[in-house]
Amino acid sequence: MNFSYNFLQSFFLKKLPKPEKLAELLILHSFEVEEVKRVGDDFVLDIGVLPNRAADCFSHMGIAKECSVLTGFDFQLPKTQFKEGKGLKIGDFISIEVKDKTACLRYFARAVSGVKIGPSPKWLKDRLNSCGLRPINNIVDITNYVMLETGQPLHAFDGDKIEGKKIIVRFARSKEKIVTLDEQKFDLDSDVLVITDEKNPVAIAGIKGGKIPEIDAKTKNLIIESANFNPAIIRKASRKLGLKTDASLRFEHGFDPNMASFAADRVVLLIQKLAGGKIAKGSVDIYPDKVLPKTLRMDLNYLNSMLGKNIPEGVVKVILRKLGFQIVKEEKKSRSLFVKVPTIRQDVTIQEDVIEEIGRVFGYDKIDPVFPLSSAVPPKNNLDIFWQELTKDIMKEAGFCEVYNYSFFGQEEAELLKSQKGQLIEVKNPLSSEQKYLRLSLLPNLLKDVERNINYTKNIRIFELGKIFRKPKEEKLMLAGLMVAESFYHVKGVVDHLLEGLGVVGAWYDEYKPTPEDSGASMWYPKKCAEIKIGDQEIGFLGEISPKIVSALGFKENIVSFDIDFEKLSRFVSEEKEYRPISRFPATIRDIAILVPRTVKVDDVLNKINEVKEELVVDVDLFDTYEGEELPKGKKNLAFHIIYQAKNRTLKSEEVDKTQNKIIKTLEENPGWQIRK
Amino acid sequence: MVKIDLKLLKKEAEKEINSACDLQSLNEVSNKYSGKKGKLTLVLKSLAALPKVTRAKVGAEVNDIKRFLNSLFDLKARELKEKLEKEVEEKEWIDISAPGKKPLAGHLHPLTQTKRKVNEIFQSMGFSVVEGPEMENEWYNFDALNIPKDHPARDLWDTFYLENGLLLRTHTSPNQVRYMEKNQPPLRIIVPGKVFRHEATDASHESNFYQSEGLMVDKTVSVANFKAIIGEFFQRFFGKTVKIRLIPSYFPFVEPGFQVDMTCLNCGGKGCPSCSYSGWLEMMGAGMVHPKVLKASGLVPKGWQGFAFGMGLDRMMMMKYKVNDIRLSYSGDLRFLKQF
Repeated sequence: MNFSYNFLQSFFLKKLPKPEKLAELLILHSFEVEEVKRVGDDFVLDIGVLPNRAADCFSHMGIAKECSVLTGFDFQLPKTQFKEGKGLKIGDFISIEVKDKTACLRYFARAVSGVKIGPSPKWLKDRLNSCGLRPINNIVDITNYVMLETGQPLHAFDGDKIEGKKIIVRFARSKEKIVTLDEQKFDLDSDVLVITDEKNPVAIAGIKGGKIPEIDAKTKNLIIESANFNPAIIRKASRKLGLKTDASLRFEHGFDPNMASFAADRVVLLIQKLAGGKIAKGSVDIYPDKVLPKTLRMDLNYLNSMLGKNIPEGVVKVILRKLGFQIVKEEKKSRSLFVKVPTIRQDVTIQEDVIEEIGRVFGYDKIDPVFPLSSAVPPKNNLDIFWQELTKDIMKEAGFCEVYNYSFFGQEEAELLKSQKGQLIEVKNPLSSEQKYLRLSLLPNLLKDVERNINYTKNIRIFELGKIFRKPKEEKLMLAGLMVAESFYHVKGVVDHLLEGLGVVGAWYDEYKPTPEDSGASMWYPKKCAEIKIGDQEIGFLGEISPKIVSALGFKENIVSFDIDFEKLSRFVSEEKEYRPISRFPATIRDIAILVPRTVKVDDVLNKINEVKEELVVDVDLFDTYEGEELPKGKKNLAFHIIYQAKNRTLKSEEVDKTQNKIIKTLEENPGWQIRK
Repeated sequence: MVKIDLKLLKKEAEKEINSACDLQSLNEVSNKYSGKKGKLTLVLKSLAALPKVTRAKVGAEVNDIKRFLNSLFDLKARELKEKLEKEVEEKEWIDISAPGKKPLAGHLHPLTQTKRKVNEIFQSMGFSVVEGPEMENEWYNFDALNIPKDHPARDLWDTFYLENGLLLRTHTSPNQVRYMEKNQPPLRIIVPGKVFRHEATDASHESNFYQSEGLMVDKTVSVANFKAIIGEFFQRFFGKTVKIRLIPSYFPFVEPGFQVDMTCLNCGGKGCPSCSYSGWLEMMGAGMVHPKVLKASGLVPKGWQGFAFGMGLDRMMMMKYKVNDIRLSYSGDLRFLKQF
């Protein structure tokens, strides 16, 4: 909010520090000052008044008070004494009725008669301009000026345009309408508090005045409104109407209703000075629940313990006095002060608020850092995070780059998961249509990453560990990754490497069985994909992304990928590793080549070999798979290394032959399997 | 007996050895003189026919020559070998300035690396790392943190609302309450995680970003303690001496509340464009835990006090690596990611 340096100076007899110096003081003790700017012969300070201090500091008076506390200079309240005109009574001008007293906390009004409308003097125009307000005429300018001064929004009605000389504060009726001063039309309803005369709404309470009782060149008689409204009601109406004003901003934050009479008095005084006229005797003041100052108990020991600094009692008292907080009682025994807080400081409601006041005025820079004296409890090791980080390290080892994608889906990504669309959680207020859902899988955004990179590199291996979201309220940590222009077996190798690194035992790959609603809509290429299982638990999928999807995205290369439920996987991880002694005796390797039908799985052959249950066989390795023209149609050749080794001796050739023959015999039991010799 | 002039033979052999240009021709020379049918060998073989006196004399002479030639051979052989090695080496010369062949290396996201560093520093100061949900309800995200409905303070957090009645957490602060509900003080935690703000993106704003919350509650935890811990943290994170300052700020869930500024890393506090010529950079929001938050967590506020802070991990990362656009983090652009 913009504040005029000259305006602030007007509260002091002494010369304030230079604008930059003043800004520095305010930054350290009160508020951020975003900018100090020269405007004519004035300076404008853009002060980031904190929301809790809006009540007192959305005003020059409030900021001037801060300056007074920080500089120690005496602060002068603006004058409000005026002379009442003879023979004029407020009752002759207006009567006021407040229908809802929880919505309108106070309604204060004065009347001025016989004013002369004209332009404002230069000093007044300058100050308004400094603060970003456009001068209009002397009356409107004065109400705006006093708002800038006191924080109290004010409104001047042309008293002769108020039907029935009566003002009523009530909620609007449905279908009621109003045209505001700036010619905007609004349809009102029962959420909007309005000021009405006997017939029509004449203002939207706390937000904007209406066109009907507008001040014009012929205006003679004025009704000055200085009211206070329930912040929540103004906020609601302002949002509903989409109308934010200087007044609504102040009312929304709430401020001291006691300011109303002071500000109105200030307005009529200035009107009398600048526009002439007579001020009617008396005022209307509907103020059922008067706000009184609170007294808070502050424990000096607690203050020192909280700040971690012993601030001398004398210093505390000086700060409180400068802030206008009155010490009404002291309790020596408990070292407590009873502090009466002025009503203008509506933000100060508990002891801790008073401590903050002392801390900031004293200066946080004067509090020396001290390490806490706490028991040396070692931090708990978070195993979830441990496994997440280990997983990332393993993926990195495997040559993968980690990406962080948005947690959102647009329509395009949602379409990729057609069959699960019903599980998408919608964002009620998305920033754009590309972010209208929460992501249901990590894969679509990973594919987008491919799109972003493919034009300058084919070497894409990426992964993400992140949350996905599913109806009704599920969020789940997933691990997904992909590789471009690699085969199923490459990605399977990566998953193997990962599971091994995480100490997972009993992982295997099962045929992909799409559910009926899944088939045809799956992201996977059904013939080249598998379910990743541990025991009988399915923990994820791996394989090739459907060529339809890949080509629709415009990629020429195929994409292989994996998608793992990390929470499920976490149940099987283990840090335990056990060393298996390496035999001192040499190993013997024999090869077996076997011709089998195409659809026979390597696992089937391996299982058969394992059936022989020979302890001399320490490992069986597939080292070649071949399908080609030389082979009978529909057949493939699998070649294995069989590794023989004993723990206690060098194996003799005959021993190995014996076992090898046993294996061959077992394999040949299968019709259609043929050992190639 | 062949009449041979041994002196001449020696001279010739010497000459031939010296003129041998490679090991092969040297070998041939060697064979010519000392081989099975070599000239000297033949002389030795023919000695038997000589009278005893002469035999001994000539024999000794021949052996001398042989010894002399052998050492000459060896010398020459060594010389030729070295020459050959040199030639080979010359041929094997490589251009060491040509680029190396890199292994296919993976990379961790800079935010992962930042998060790890932050976690590590705080863990060494006794803080446990915990996590919380990204979808939150209004109670944890707002009400329990003393941010009432229909209060302008809520405007400080632009929020994504979901059709299932939840919202995307706007900060990691809900975990203060979530943790204190289940754990009695004394406690020290940090909570890294993804947060969401309903705001337009630009170089320094994102709708998705990362924060880390910190919370320490005990019997006498103070502002002075906060200054010490957070100062130590920045020092270790940036690996250099930095100054910090606390300036007043407002967050409904702390009282007193402050903003933590650090001397600008770029200019060291002199003022430059990166700090808008103030010499300071805004690093985090913090404060002393509000009694209402302790109460909302089911604690009796009396007797417990502590500090809480929330820092933007993206900002920390950007400052550490001089990244100038927050959106790069979420771009999936490998040209960016492979630099870390």
